[in-house]
Amino acid sequence: MATPIDPVVHTAALAALEAALNQALTLAPEGRDELATLADSVFALQCTKPEFHVYLQPTEQGIRLMGVHDGDVTTSVRGEASDFTELASSSDPAATLINGKLELRGDSGALIHLQKILSNLDVDWEAPLVSTLGDVAGHQLAELLRGAFSWGKQASESLARQINEFIHEEARLSPPTLELEDYYRDVQDLVMRVERLASRTQRLRKRLQTRKS
Amino acid sequence: MSDEETTHFGYKDVKREEKAGMVADVFHSVAARYDLMNDLMSGGIHRIWKRFTIELSGVRKGNAVLDIAGGTGDLAAKFSDIVGTEGRVVLADINDSMLKVGRDKLIDSGRQGNIEYIQADAQYLPFPDNSFDCVTIAFGLRNVTDKDTALQSMLRVLKPGGRLLVLEFSKPTNELMSKAYDAYSFNILPRIGKLVTNDADSYQYLAESIRKHPNQESLKDMMEEAGFSRCEFHNLTGGIVALHKGIKA
Repeated sequence: MATPIDPVVHTAALAALEAALNQALTLAPEGRDELATLADSVFALQCTKPEFHVYLQPTEQGIRLMGVHDGDVTTSVRGEASDFTELASSSDPAATLINGKLELRGDSGALIHLQKILSNLDVDWEAPLVSTLGDVAGHQLAELLRGAFSWGKQASESLARQINEFIHEEARLSPPTLELEDYYRDVQDLVMRVERLASRTQRLRKRLQTRKS
Repeated sequence: MSDEETTHFGYKDVKREEKAGMVADVFHSVAARYDLMNDLMSGGIHRIWKRFTIELSGVRKGNAVLDIAGGTGDLAAKFSDIVGTEGRVVLADINDSMLKVGRDKLIDSGRQGNIEYIQADAQYLPFPDNSFDCVTIAFGLRNVTDKDTALQSMLRVLKPGGRLLVLEFSKPTNELMSKAYDAYSFNILPRIGKLVTNDADSYQYLAESIRKHPNQESLKDMMEEAGFSRCEFHNLTGGIVALHKGIKA
């Protein structure tokens, strides 16, 4: 049986992406060590828009991307590219998985672990720059990059915190997470009580009917 | 000479017992620059074809893999990383020049401990029955004198459930591409061969041997006749190359 699409293009794209990812990982050795803890896991990522699928396997050498995988899959995730971007950039991947549009099958714990490792990658810009530009210029450029990246990260974290405070405290547009969780817990409690009461009434009604007859 | 006594060597008919020696001469001649030639001839795409082969192999940690006609060890290197220290990779080639180049390349890249090197003929594999989880042969089957015997030998050494992958030049699916490919392989390829390895004849043989090799459907039938189950093939780069897969039931 011949496949309708030439798999060479797909495989070539994955090879390029894998090379780029592993290049970044060589500059973040701690991240690579952490990834090795997930070495027996395989993640199936299926993007529906644009249509693309990939199997991601962390290994001791880095990350392996495959177009075909004939074996067990630890976690399978399906959704649109924007949903995957949301998950990748989320500071609370568990909540994003629960509230987002991604369809998940298998072990969510392994996926959350993978997301945290990848989002916390601390890339060391200095090593490649020093070997290319020399000690002085390489170090200075690395400092500049590090500063720019850490400023960007701090700025985005601070902005997110301020927006969060504004929405919850100033404008009162939405209740804070803790209040919401309390509210959900109360609702859950109420649901259970109502269910118990309903079953009790039903039991009593049955007993009354048997007495009448 | 009757058909039973002869086989093809490119477009020439030669005695069956002479083909292995003639193929050996071709590869002795190109071994040193084999990798460079592969990159030049295919524009580097042979790496993608091999990568797809590895994906389809389903090889995992702890598996035993036999790479026949493994040449300069491209597949064996990847398999060695995947199977890890608990696994085993055997790089086999009939040609000792190719085997030496492959062995040096793999040792230089730091891969040792789980790779063995064996000079062996694909038709008479020197391994016990049911030894391997996966057998691969990339760009090697067309050089084998008796392909049916070789396929049966591969089936014998595979464990039940194990898979054979044959990566080989095949027949382009598009007529226009087929013409362009013919022009390339008979006019340009031998010239590149002459420039890089100073051996135009070997690359003339390469172009001819590809044309004499069974097409996609014929090779699939041959695998089924040898006893493989669930045989299928994937056309790569418009059918210039095909990857056949069969399972030992």
